[in-house]
Amino acid sequence: MIRVNDIQKHFGALHVLRGITFEVQKGEAIVIIGPSGSGKSTLLRCINLLVEPDSGQVFIDGVQVNRHGIRHEWVRQQVGMVFQSFNLFTHLTAIDNVTLGLTRVKGMPHDKAVQKARELLARVGLAVKENAYPAELSGGQQQRVAIARALAMDPKAMLFDEPTSALDPEYIREVLDVMTALAREGMTMIVVTHEMGFASNAASRILFMDAGKIVEEGTAEQIFQNPKEDRTRSFVSKILR
Amino acid sequence: METAAAFRLRAAPKLVTGVGVVHLVEMTVAGLLMVFVILPAIFSFSLLSPQFWQIYTRFYVTGLFGTFFYVALALPLSAVIGFLMGWARVSRIRIFAWPSSLYVNVFRGVPPLILVIFASLFGTSLIPQPILDRFLAGFRRGDIAVGIAAIAIGMHSSAYQAEIFRAGFQSVPKGQVEAAQALGLRPWQGMRHVILPQTFRLSLPPLSNEFAALIKDTSILAAISGVDLVAKSRDLLGILPASGLPIVWIFAVWTVVALTYFVITYAVTRGLRLLERKFHTPGLEGISL
Repeated sequence: MIRVNDIQKHFGALHVLRGITFEVQKGEAIVIIGPSGSGKSTLLRCINLLVEPDSGQVFIDGVQVNRHGIRHEWVRQQVGMVFQSFNLFTHLTAIDNVTLGLTRVKGMPHDKAVQKARELLARVGLAVKENAYPAELSGGQQQRVAIARALAMDPKAMLFDEPTSALDPEYIREVLDVMTALAREGMTMIVVTHEMGFASNAASRILFMDAGKIVEEGTAEQIFQNPKEDRTRSFVSKILR
Repeated sequence: METAAAFRLRAAPKLVTGVGVVHLVEMTVAGLLMVFVILPAIFSFSLLSPQFWQIYTRFYVTGLFGTFFYVALALPLSAVIGFLMGWARVSRIRIFAWPSSLYVNVFRGVPPLILVIFASLFGTSLIPQPILDRFLAGFRRGDIAVGIAAIAIGMHSSAYQAEIFRAGFQSVPKGQVEAAQALGLRPWQGMRHVILPQTFRLSLPPLSNEFAALIKDTSILAAISGVDLVAKSRDLLGILPASGLPIVWIFAVWTVVALTYFVITYAVTRGLRLLERKFHTPGLEGISL
């Protein structure tokens, strides 16, 4: 479904990604963990080309997307993205946030888009908030609208960039529940998170990244209970508290 | 879990709100007071001469229309130029950013009076002869020069407006652009549907300040051969018999001018305030540029 082959990325003198290779099967949910600055977010952004890799290939459904002749806008319709800071459009209500992509990118008629947006908002449990502006929603509600907004484009896969890190503790659960349900329904997902509960419940595999490389890969059990590498062990011991 | 009780329906934004009505009433009362109480009181000395009223009205109305005309010439143009310059200033494309930066610094750094003097002296030579012949043939050279001077005042204001719009653009968080990209919107769509609407809402409050300043700045045109409120009032006082001209007349004439400017700027800023209310968006107010 998604294949990343030997990706390198520099930001100026900073070597952020040092040859990343991995593959995600259809319907798989992958969790990426690792210390801050290890390149997790950059890796996600390389997949939907918000960041362009310096070298290496990104394949989505067998198509290499980081090459000439492939429009970035097309790639981004294939994979939805959810951000740490939600990034809902401040001037639009919840439902308008969801319909914007439908009407402007997919060219869907407004009434059909509204209908679809309502279904999606209901799916994330926010049917009653469709007319609320982002500023009137809690962090958890905003993030759920953001998930609905990304799902509206019918993506083949979803990327989550630390979706619960900016949330107050009481709102983390509701967002993780939506994500877990999504994983159960067979959505292909790549999730950067340190939520061990989610990793154990929903992730088929966990990648541990450090200093721009994938250090270790395995099931939740292997990574959390039996890490092979020292770096993994020391990181896991810090986050497991 | 959201309960229905926690959900409040959003009423459609009303252009004229309760507060808006109060202000409309305020303005109307102020206007009526001015016309029927203050003016007659001020000019009670001259009520003896009905001729004076005729002359005064003629001068006042001519001047008022002149001021309106200059504002109509300068203000829309200044907003358009200001917006484009502000946009260009945040552009990543150097050939847009650099000239607009120069424009802003030059027009902001030169006093409007100096701009007006330059425009009146050399302005008409900036217009190509064919255009002068075809479109502006009916106007006298001097009037065209004043028109250009009015535009120069607008350009002075546009430098400030460019800075307002620049700040507006820059206060739209980068994450908004990223979200638009991640949805698959093209760059111009992100600009049109995400950035611009937020820029406008953020720019509106400081913009009304700048419009008020521009309206008052048109009075500088009286320094050249402009025909506005200030110029006509000055001329009126000039033709009155100098001997025994009560100082209170002079005071009265200028008071009316001041009040008129006040009413115009008040109406404009009030109007923009209603617009702000109409576009009220939670999360987008209270950000000061």
